[in-house]
Amino acid sequence: MRNLIYLIIRFSAIVTFIILECLCFYLIVNYNKSQKEIWAHSSNLFTGAVNKRLNNVYSFFDLQTTNDSLLLENARLLETIINYRISSKDNRFQAFEQSDSLYQYNLIPARVCSKTLHLRDNYISLCKGRNDGIQPGMGVVSEHGVVGIVKSASTKYATVLLLLNSQSRVSGKVKSKEYSGTLLWTSSDPNILNMRNVPKHAEIAIGDTIVTSGYSVAFPPEIPIGKIKNFALEGGGNDYSINVHLDYDLSSIDYVYVVNFEDREEKSELIEELNE
Amino acid sequence: MNSIVQRNIIRAVFILAVQLLLLKRIDITFESFNYIHFTIYPIIIALLPYKSSKTLVVLIGFVIGLFVDLFYDSLGIHAAACTLVAYLRPYILNILSPVEGYKKDGLTAHGYGLPWFLSYVGIFMFISLFTLYSIEAFSFVYIKEIVLRSIFSFLASLFLIVIGQLIFNPKY
Repeated sequence: MRNLIYLIIRFSAIVTFIILECLCFYLIVNYNKSQKEIWAHSSNLFTGAVNKRLNNVYSFFDLQTTNDSLLLENARLLETIINYRISSKDNRFQAFEQSDSLYQYNLIPARVCSKTLHLRDNYISLCKGRNDGIQPGMGVVSEHGVVGIVKSASTKYATVLLLLNSQSRVSGKVKSKEYSGTLLWTSSDPNILNMRNVPKHAEIAIGDTIVTSGYSVAFPPEIPIGKIKNFALEGGGNDYSINVHLDYDLSSIDYVYVVNFEDREEKSELIEELNE
Repeated sequence: MNSIVQRNIIRAVFILAVQLLLLKRIDITFESFNYIHFTIYPIIIALLPYKSSKTLVVLIGFVIGLFVDLFYDSLGIHAAACTLVAYLRPYILNILSPVEGYKKDGLTAHGYGLPWFLSYVGIFMFISLFTLYSIEAFSFVYIKEIVLRSIFSFLASLFLIVIGQLIFNPKY
């Protein structure tokens, strides 16, 4: 105890000095305007940098939620665009139809669980199923364009037949020229699709945009697919064989939207009747 | 002993009066050249008796600085500079220790000669002025102004102090 007191006495000068300097500093930054501002500014620089880093870390943990909410928002926007396009832009019967009856397409956002791309028959599976309203036969699009068609759905998962599948058949058309045809994947190049059944009198050119026709129940019209890369008449036939270059990279999709057409069953029944 | 305390108190009151009533009002400015400020009051701390306790010197430095601050309307700035230089005083004295050691209590030109006094007060004043102007600017962005102001004020103040020392030539 005595030693402690000696110690305090011995260092009393420096202790007093430090205490008084702290007091001075407090007085300076509290009662002097310019010093106060400089202090506030510099301490803000420091705390700002720290806060920014912290925020980066926190936002990383929020990314998943943010992504999900963005996905939902995107689905809403895309839905609105698709329905707007049908109801007003390309509709010559607009005057005869009630606009709310044309609100036919709903989009269900879903995350891709797994996918194959290197096989002859490629599938992706989605983390949503019948519980979320996904039914076999629905079309699947991404924000860039067509992805595929739902082949089967369980309660929680769904399998999608990708565009890059030997069994896939998607009805497409040349944009703004209204020549329609069927898109198949016959090449082994994951960027090239083949379009058949386009009549040979059609005036098409390299670089024309191919979009969905909207004739099938799976896809709404005007969803982009790709551009014409080259075309040729099939030997002795009446149809063009068109190679279509995909505009987007199917291997990089993570989020997709499943298209729910409200009158799907009605329309598909009718088409099936026709085929029988 | 008593007379030393009295002497120091009277000197402190006198120097503070000169500083606050007279020197504070002097403003030497030539166009953009306004680096001269007469600041002599740290000499009070420098001239305290050699044997004063370190803690007491630090406390006195703080009180004097705070008192000056009240008049300069800059609460804490002069106090911080004074406290620092008061704390450093023993170390400055250590560096300048004469060969035979400090035998006399009064740290004046009368006791130890003018050259020693000049170097002691020179170091003392320069540290206090440089600290003072650094804290006043509060940012080393203004390092050029700080240095210029310190040097010119230092020369002017030292001039006054030496004149005062020669006129009064105090023993303590």
